[in-house]
Amino acid sequence: MSMRRFLWVAVLLLLVLPVFGFKVIMVTDTGGLGDKSFNDGTWAGIQRAAEELGIESEFIQSYEQADYIPNLTKAAQEADVVFAVGFMMTDALAKVAPQFPDTYFVGIDIVLDNYPPNVITFVFKEQESAFTVGYIAAAMTKTNIVGFVGGIPIPPVERFRYGFETGVKLYADLHGKNITILRGYTNVFDDPKKGKDLAVSQFAQGADIIFAAAGACGNGVIEAAKEYFTSLAGTSDLAGLIDYYYKTGQAFFAIGVDVDQDYMAPGAVLCSSMKRIDNAAYYGVVWAFEGTFESGLKVLGLKEDGVGLSPMKYTKGLVPNRVLAELEYLSTLVKKGELVIPDTQEALDAFTTPPIEFPF
Amino acid sequence: MRWIQAIFDILTNPQFYKITLTASTPFIFASLGGVFSEITGVVNIALEGIMLMGAFTSIVFTFYFGSPWLGVLMAIIVGLGMAWLHAWASIKWYGNQIVTGTALILLAQGVTGFLMEPIFGRPGQTDLIGKIEEIRVPGISEIPFIGKVIGELNPLVYIAFGAVVFSWFLIYKTVLGLRMRSVGENPEAADTLGVNVYGIRYFGVLMSGVLASLGGAFLSVGELGQFKELMTGGRGFIALAAMILGNWNPVGAMLASLLFGAAEAMNNQLQSSPILHVSASTKPLFNMLPFIVTLVVVSGFIGRTRPPAADGIPYIKE
Repeated sequence: MSMRRFLWVAVLLLLVLPVFGFKVIMVTDTGGLGDKSFNDGTWAGIQRAAEELGIESEFIQSYEQADYIPNLTKAAQEADVVFAVGFMMTDALAKVAPQFPDTYFVGIDIVLDNYPPNVITFVFKEQESAFTVGYIAAAMTKTNIVGFVGGIPIPPVERFRYGFETGVKLYADLHGKNITILRGYTNVFDDPKKGKDLAVSQFAQGADIIFAAAGACGNGVIEAAKEYFTSLAGTSDLAGLIDYYYKTGQAFFAIGVDVDQDYMAPGAVLCSSMKRIDNAAYYGVVWAFEGTFESGLKVLGLKEDGVGLSPMKYTKGLVPNRVLAELEYLSTLVKKGELVIPDTQEALDAFTTPPIEFPF
Repeated sequence: MRWIQAIFDILTNPQFYKITLTASTPFIFASLGGVFSEITGVVNIALEGIMLMGAFTSIVFTFYFGSPWLGVLMAIIVGLGMAWLHAWASIKWYGNQIVTGTALILLAQGVTGFLMEPIFGRPGQTDLIGKIEEIRVPGISEIPFIGKVIGELNPLVYIAFGAVVFSWFLIYKTVLGLRMRSVGENPEAADTLGVNVYGIRYFGVLMSGVLASLGGAFLSVGELGQFKELMTGGRGFIALAAMILGNWNPVGAMLASLLFGAAEAMNNQLQSSPILHVSASTKPLFNMLPFIVTLVVVSGFIGRTRPPAADGIPYIKE
């Protein structure tokens, strides 16, 4: 009898333990959780998967780049799935992942040279998302000067810039406008004041719309736009800002990045260039949990719903319908592969606006 | 030629000077704090930590009570507390002032990071919670050019420059200031003449807490309306450099702070200049401008600076 009871308990334990023990640990980059950008996006996706699957999730905050390898190692010792978030962790992931073949690794914004069977990395066609906000910025600018604030010029940040510049150029060429782009880099991702100083500098040089692809520095850019727009309109509430814009046609806008940042300063954030990192993170967890994990690189673009324009909850009414319709049409061309948004500096330099006939 | 044109454009743009002022303000506050502490003979490298606590406290109280000014007031009180810890350890117990200062920085980083989750419900950073708005000074703001520079600024910027004047007057024109300097130069002699060395040193360190905390509060409720972990980003250490560059003099510290601020503003404006064609990969080099300026100025243009003779040495009563 006791032998049988023992067997029952053993079988039950075997069934329960893997479910109980399944654990996801995310290692943030230095931007950290709460950056309202890709760390938060990844975390949101992990949380969604964890709730649906009833598994455990934790995060480890990295404070400097030297933390990446120890943090990933520590996470790999405890977890079934480890998330390495951000391009800056590329080398750390390449070093740590092969040492833990029984742990799944998911990298966000990372491309490896070779893939052990336990590693998936996601990259995004940021340029396809940024091209939409560039198009809107070019349509909305009154000074014909728009700004770009980048963090460190790493590939994902630069792809945002290529896309933004392409969008601006497309609109300018199709509508006979001449638009100048100001570009600056904070060279860090975690100092909002630097973002603000840079944004204020660009406003001072005539820009009225600034796109920030600078992690937490972007909060400073949004704050700068809010401050300038508020000071211009004499009010900070959404209705007041919108009324002012309709009356005078003047405004200062920021454009958010990575996640929908429109809510951070309603009315002063024109739109956000989104990367659906949450979706990528969600599938990373689900695939590992269900055992359908196929290692390799996954590239997500407009077509795969991996990137996109924010719903523009507060400011959609400000943008002319024609612009939105044109953008919709251009997006279809991108999805069909008929319009290719450059993802390198060379491609951007070589880019010429194709003859586009809008069907309306 | 393009470069000269670009720099000329920047120097004739009033916004350049305004950005210089706002970028210098945290340095001015914190370096004044450093001056107060060090002229009485206590090295205070905890400025960075006190700034961080000031930035955090002011946002917390703004978050709970909706008043950024209350936040600033509480930041001052917390700054006093931090400075008192430093004073207590290094004056009363003759502790090594570098060690105590370092401990306070680590303490500030740990405490602010730890309290994010219970107070704001998430680590990392807060939303844009609320800040002190800029004020327009009637009269000055109508003057062409100058009005655009100093006519409409955050009140804390005006307070920073007020603090420079106040500090200069206090240190060089009052009896208390004379005693502070004498305690920093020769505490034994001051003690013999009946000056309360410990009391004066406490005063100097506590003042540094107030000022550094204001510098931190300016960053959070003055400029951004949000707190982010480690948001001071080494500004406390740059303030120490400004204090040394300014030869432990409030006006000198202000000038050095302005220089750092101007280098930062120049960096931002040059990067964004529409007429310079610089590739993206070389643009981050511009971010080194403040440090290059520091090196050049320190090594070339400024003569030897001299710290107070008893700076950093605990005073042990015979």
